[in-house]
Amino acid sequence: MVGGLKRLLGRGAAKGPAGLDAGVRATVEAWRASPAPSLDDAHFLTRYVLVDVATAGQGGDAVLAGIVGLGVRAGAILPGDAFACDFAGAESDPVAVDRNLAAFLTYADKAPLVTFHSPFVAGHLHKVYSERLGVDFQPRWIDLAWLLPSLFPEKAAKPVALDDWLEMLGIVGSAGGRRDTMTNALVLGRLFQMLLVRANDKDVTTAQQLVEESQAATRLRRTI
Amino acid sequence: MSTENQVAVEAETALREQGSRRMAGSTQAFLKLHAPFDKMAPEALQLFAEKAQLSFYPEGARIVTPESGPVRFFYLIESGKVQARQAGEVAVTEYSVLTLSPGESFPIGAVTAGRPSTNLYLALEDTFCYQLPAEDFLTLMATSREFNLFCTRYIASLLNQSRQQLQQQFAQRASEQQTLNSPLSGIGSRSPVTVSPDIPVRQALETMSAAGVGSLVIAGEDRKPVGVFTRSDLLDRVVLADLPQSAPISQAMSPAPFMLEEQATAYDAMLAMATHGIRHVLVTDAEGRLSGVVSERDLFALQRVGLRQIRQAIESAPDVESLRQSASDVRQLAFNMLAQGVGAGQLTQFISALNDALTKRILQLNLERHHFDGIEWAWLAFGSEGRDEQTFSTDQDNGIVFAVPEGQAADAIKERFLAFALEVNKDLDRCGFPLCKGNIMASNPQWCLTLEQWKEQFTQWIRMPQPEALLNASIFFDFRCLYGKAELAESMRRHLLAQTAANGLFLQAMARNALDVEPPLGKLRDFLTDLEPGHPGKIDLKKYGIRIFVDVARIYALAAGVHNTNSVQRLRIAAQRLSIREEEINAILEGLDFIQLLRLRHQYLEGEPGRQGDNLINPDDLNELDRRILKESFRQARKIQSRLKLDYQVH
Repeated sequence: MVGGLKRLLGRGAAKGPAGLDAGVRATVEAWRASPAPSLDDAHFLTRYVLVDVATAGQGGDAVLAGIVGLGVRAGAILPGDAFACDFAGAESDPVAVDRNLAAFLTYADKAPLVTFHSPFVAGHLHKVYSERLGVDFQPRWIDLAWLLPSLFPEKAAKPVALDDWLEMLGIVGSAGGRRDTMTNALVLGRLFQMLLVRANDKDVTTAQQLVEESQAATRLRRTI
Repeated sequence: MSTENQVAVEAETALREQGSRRMAGSTQAFLKLHAPFDKMAPEALQLFAEKAQLSFYPEGARIVTPESGPVRFFYLIESGKVQARQAGEVAVTEYSVLTLSPGESFPIGAVTAGRPSTNLYLALEDTFCYQLPAEDFLTLMATSREFNLFCTRYIASLLNQSRQQLQQQFAQRASEQQTLNSPLSGIGSRSPVTVSPDIPVRQALETMSAAGVGSLVIAGEDRKPVGVFTRSDLLDRVVLADLPQSAPISQAMSPAPFMLEEQATAYDAMLAMATHGIRHVLVTDAEGRLSGVVSERDLFALQRVGLRQIRQAIESAPDVESLRQSASDVRQLAFNMLAQGVGAGQLTQFISALNDALTKRILQLNLERHHFDGIEWAWLAFGSEGRDEQTFSTDQDNGIVFAVPEGQAADAIKERFLAFALEVNKDLDRCGFPLCKGNIMASNPQWCLTLEQWKEQFTQWIRMPQPEALLNASIFFDFRCLYGKAELAESMRRHLLAQTAANGLFLQAMARNALDVEPPLGKLRDFLTDLEPGHPGKIDLKKYGIRIFVDVARIYALAAGVHNTNSVQRLRIAAQRLSIREEEINAILEGLDFIQLLRLRHQYLEGEPGRQGDNLINPDDLNELDRRILKESFRQARKIQSRLKLDYQVH
């Protein structure tokens, strides 16, 4: 399975936009043309999308095997605004893979994306989108791994593992062991819900501020 | 849209659905760990999981408040702790603070009724909740039997709390008294003097004398009572009957004594004494073995205004003036019972039993001046009295049935009964049972009829169910023999049931008539309070509440051949015969009981002395919980009406 995925989604799989299926191309163009939502509204009015990816293979050879998205609006995780695609099993149908990637663009709708350890998730997505759809995928990322220590300094002053956060913030029943991508996205969702409340308390009241805080925390801590 | 674009849209939709399904799977895994969800069907869990969002409330957050308007969500705690706290100054539930944990839900009553919560729900620690939108909650209630039962039971427990709260209000006003709810196992004599049925009378009398008691229980070796022997039996059954003292006591005892089990309450014993005119009730264990005796004296010790006193006063009243005092005592006793926690159904039966005694005495006093020797006749009670559902203020509804002896003229006999009835009606009025405005009284020639005339009258109403006939049916078909020859009333009943069972059209007409009045539930407001001309802001609990239940009960009783007239009994028995689920009928009876209790409370607390208490209440005067439960009770009225509508195809 990994071999097939690697041929499809790994290095050298690029074919550029010209070779895209007409429907996928139209979807990508529509996505490009769509305006990005304002990030200046209160958290309550902003749609965030939690993202987690599944990978197959080890280390630098790992390839994207699936994407999960969960919409958060008005502070709530909504079952009607979720997304899940698997690339495993789709090796023989490259158009279907492209279609799924394009579908995620439409679903995310340029909303700020939330994840834990964004370089990993962003790296995989950027590579795949660039190589398969010719899209320079640079969403506005909110990285919980860096933002949590910034907003909960009393719990941890520097980035720690996800399970440690779950334990420190008392998110029960989910800590420890392997989680599937959806379960992982759901625990990230809970962390993000808690973080939004804390952000408001600290006068970080808009998505823009949260993105900036995330970037600042990333830069600051990396330079320390 | 091009085919390619169509495919792209479909792909996105499919992946969204896949995402929703996986998220729902996680929610379902949680639901399966908690009641009532663990017993619910997969489709119901699916509905919940697909619609419930997950929200976070930090410690100290106010999740639901009474001020935040009608509740929009049903909340199920996923993790954390939530405190339910009484809002306002007056406690409306038995708890003032309650802590809820994962798997527990709130605010069921408010979300069911679509109204603001009466409680404040506060996150005691960081808390995650699944939130099901109100409309999806109602869908789940309608589609999942288990979920419906869970919510219904919860609301029923609220009903119970409110009843307790009502009782507390009364208890504060009533004097300190031991409760009538005490089981008989704690009242009266625990070691009654017992002899076996075959000992001679003389030995029994010696036993009584030695023990210093006025009565004996006669029981076999298995300790199962077969009779009682009292001092009055000594006179009537031994001395005056010339029974030799060597005869076995079984020949002198009163056989088939009245017995109740230990779990029965003092109230039950009191009701039995009032109904059967007895002074002792034997108490038995579950196997029917004697374990005690409760006398009127024992019950009197529980009562300041005692049953015995009232009953004795009624039975020996020399004139109507004395009975007037007794009528007021009945009212006081009923009030004390209300205070002590007797339910509305039992209480109305109790008032009826004592009012019966009062009426009987009035009849007896008048019979001293009117003689009907050789004529079979009976005094009939109709309406609420006929149903044993009298409240503090009930006007009279009565009639006479008689059989004409051979060779006598019916008209002449009727004239004599009318003269007698007129005096009885007036006396009843003087004792607090106002004359019937609709002239449904035995002194009205229309309602003083021979057995054949009554049967003919019933047949006419059933064959031609015109509006007036239906109105009459709703009063006269609830008849009961109060005095005289009970067989006449039974003959009327058999005739009635035979006629109605064979006449579907009549029952359908009754059903249509019963559906003319609907419970006063508003679409926007909780209650409709402008239905009664001249009484804006008020609800008539009798017309728009009790009567709905009573009308439906009557129709089902007539359809199912139920002989009883009491609405609760009618509904219970008819439900069994018509295979209506027990929990459904229980919820309906709870609703009826609550409205009746509110009505009694209103009549007592707000009725002015000397004025007939009315049935009009202002729902704004009720506390939040009572309002909520009243609304739920009216919903039960609507529910039973819907059933009637379906069963009788009334559109």
